[in-house]
Amino acid sequence: MTTATATATVSPLTSPLTRTPAKPFYFNTSAHLLRITRQKASTLSEFLDALRECPEGSIFQHSFRTLQEHHFIREGFSNDFAHWAVSACNEPSLAEELASVDVREFTSVAQLRERFVQIVEDFLKRSPAAATRAAKETFYFCASDTVVIPTSFVAHSLREFAEGMRGVTVHCIHHHFIEARLRLKLMSNDFSQWLYEDMGLTEAARQLNRIDIYTMTLEDVRNQIIKIVERALI
Amino acid sequence: MEPIEQQVHSESTVTDASSDHSAASTPATREGLERRRKPRTWETPPAPAPPTHLDDYKSIVGEGEIDELKFLARELKGKKVKMVNSTAVGGGVAEMLNQLVPLLRELEVQTHWDVITGGNDFFEVTKAFHNALQGSDYNLTQHARDIFLMHNEQNRNRIEFSEDFIVIHDPQPAALIRARKESNQRWIWRCHIDLSNPNPEVWGFLRPFVEKYDAAIFSSQSFARQLPIPQYLFYPCIDPLSEKNKDIEDSFVQHVCDEFGIDRSRPIVTQVSRFDRAKDPVGVVQAFKQARKYVDCQLVMAGGGASDDPEGAAVLKEVKEAVGEDPDIILLDLPPWCALEINALQRASTIIVQKSIREGFGLTVTEALWKGKPTIAGAVGGIPNQIIHKLTGALVHSVDGCAYQIRYLLTHPDFARQLGQNGHEHVKENFLMSTNVRRWLLLLRILLAGGAQ
Repeated sequence: MTTATATATVSPLTSPLTRTPAKPFYFNTSAHLLRITRQKASTLSEFLDALRECPEGSIFQHSFRTLQEHHFIREGFSNDFAHWAVSACNEPSLAEELASVDVREFTSVAQLRERFVQIVEDFLKRSPAAATRAAKETFYFCASDTVVIPTSFVAHSLREFAEGMRGVTVHCIHHHFIEARLRLKLMSNDFSQWLYEDMGLTEAARQLNRIDIYTMTLEDVRNQIIKIVERALI
Repeated sequence: MEPIEQQVHSESTVTDASSDHSAASTPATREGLERRRKPRTWETPPAPAPPTHLDDYKSIVGEGEIDELKFLARELKGKKVKMVNSTAVGGGVAEMLNQLVPLLRELEVQTHWDVITGGNDFFEVTKAFHNALQGSDYNLTQHARDIFLMHNEQNRNRIEFSEDFIVIHDPQPAALIRARKESNQRWIWRCHIDLSNPNPEVWGFLRPFVEKYDAAIFSSQSFARQLPIPQYLFYPCIDPLSEKNKDIEDSFVQHVCDEFGIDRSRPIVTQVSRFDRAKDPVGVVQAFKQARKYVDCQLVMAGGGASDDPEGAAVLKEVKEAVGEDPDIILLDLPPWCALEINALQRASTIIVQKSIREGFGLTVTEALWKGKPTIAGAVGGIPNQIIHKLTGALVHSVDGCAYQIRYLLTHPDFARQLGQNGHEHVKENFLMSTNVRRWLLLLRILLAGGAQ
């Protein structure tokens, strides 16, 4: 893996089937409560101001978290900002740019905010008339209050890891696979990190990290992960 | 374009593959029409359904979700919660509390439900407040203020507020916050109504009470106000185990369709709602008639409120005029306890329409999406929270738009099916009773830990 900084601690010479991880994988999940913040926008100019001022929890909610809320959509949904730009502001080119922001490329919400701000700033420089045009619907900035929850699944082996993957909720997958990079501050995820650091499965870890969350549902992601892990078990 | 016949048969709920209908409109049979004119068989309310238990939801949301609720409740074990509202029966709030309170108790969060009392004068004032807060004109008099405060004061003296969390529902008991003691008690105001455009006088009167709470909860982002306390978003929800939403045998769906003379071998477009101008039933008839020029279909308009509401009767009359002698439009004025029949009608439908021009949250949309039905709805109130255009349904702004979407979805069944599937998942993720329980547990935990992060 190119982005992970830790080194593997398990000998790759033992079969993955019998390999004991340096530490077990504890499957957790997170529950989120939506808080309505003070920021709202009825024009793109107001939207830009609100993007700059809103709490980090809002940026997280409307990008990372909304992927979880809409985990069943395979295509056509990326984040709430892009959706509003097209559905309420009728600005497809801005929407396309906002939608192309891939949350996996960011390890902090501050960086992600900067990217969104930059896109809207650049767009309004190119299309100043769009700044004050009234949107069809107001955008209300919300934020997430989060509680981390342990699950009953713990993996002491690769086989148990695969079983855990089959049993956990999609919220758990989102927690470890998508939100994790904000905790890890790495361009990676909890599953890849464990496979790499604790199981010595570099290739499987890399393959997991290449799964495209924007073109599949979280159930598809689950199935992909299971497939990769099962291949490693052979 | 596929022939209509094939499109119809590819819809999951339309099963009569042996029928041989042409694409042109097939009139309803005489027998069916005769049957429609017969008095309905459901004339008395059925016995209430038995209460549901947490484990009953496992088959719907999965064991993991229920385990998460149990974990979230652990920290609240032994904590006491009091819910206070203004009515024990009737209305969405009482219905929701009837489901929520037992589930919280099952999770060992000791939850008690109290109902305030008041005379006719109080409820006349609060009804006027309710309408004014939703935007109606109203002249707030000193007399109305006095009545409101007097009854709140009487209830404050009557009810004991010793619990860890006090949850006050809606404006009627909002002034009970005066009972707050200097302690670790947390007070929450749960507002179920649309405050996006409130009468300034009434809101100005209530606001100082609301500001004294620890948190407020609204049903939509747009209903929230600028307040100095944290405001949370709790979407209204449906109970997937209720009569209205539970899985039912197809034989019952067929029985209901037979009773009402609905032909399941042809596409069925349905709107379920009171005969109320806000639901634009005449617009639905117009949209249907436009769409039927190109695709064969029937329209079912199932509603109520025409027998006990003068305005409802007037609206039904307008709808009947718009329908004329059209044999493909089936108007059903059903009593409120016909939940199972509504369930069957929704499940029999090829497409469900909710062409509201004003709406609260629009739980009929939630019900339709839960049943996996491609749904076309007005882009008003809480509907855009449920329908993401072209992803979980179709949003419309006009009769023409509605007609076009009916035609499009009837002629693109694969796309329609995908919308229905996405809609079902959207409800499962965000608008079920189990999600509501989760939100309550999260909020109580967050407030217990000292409030929003």
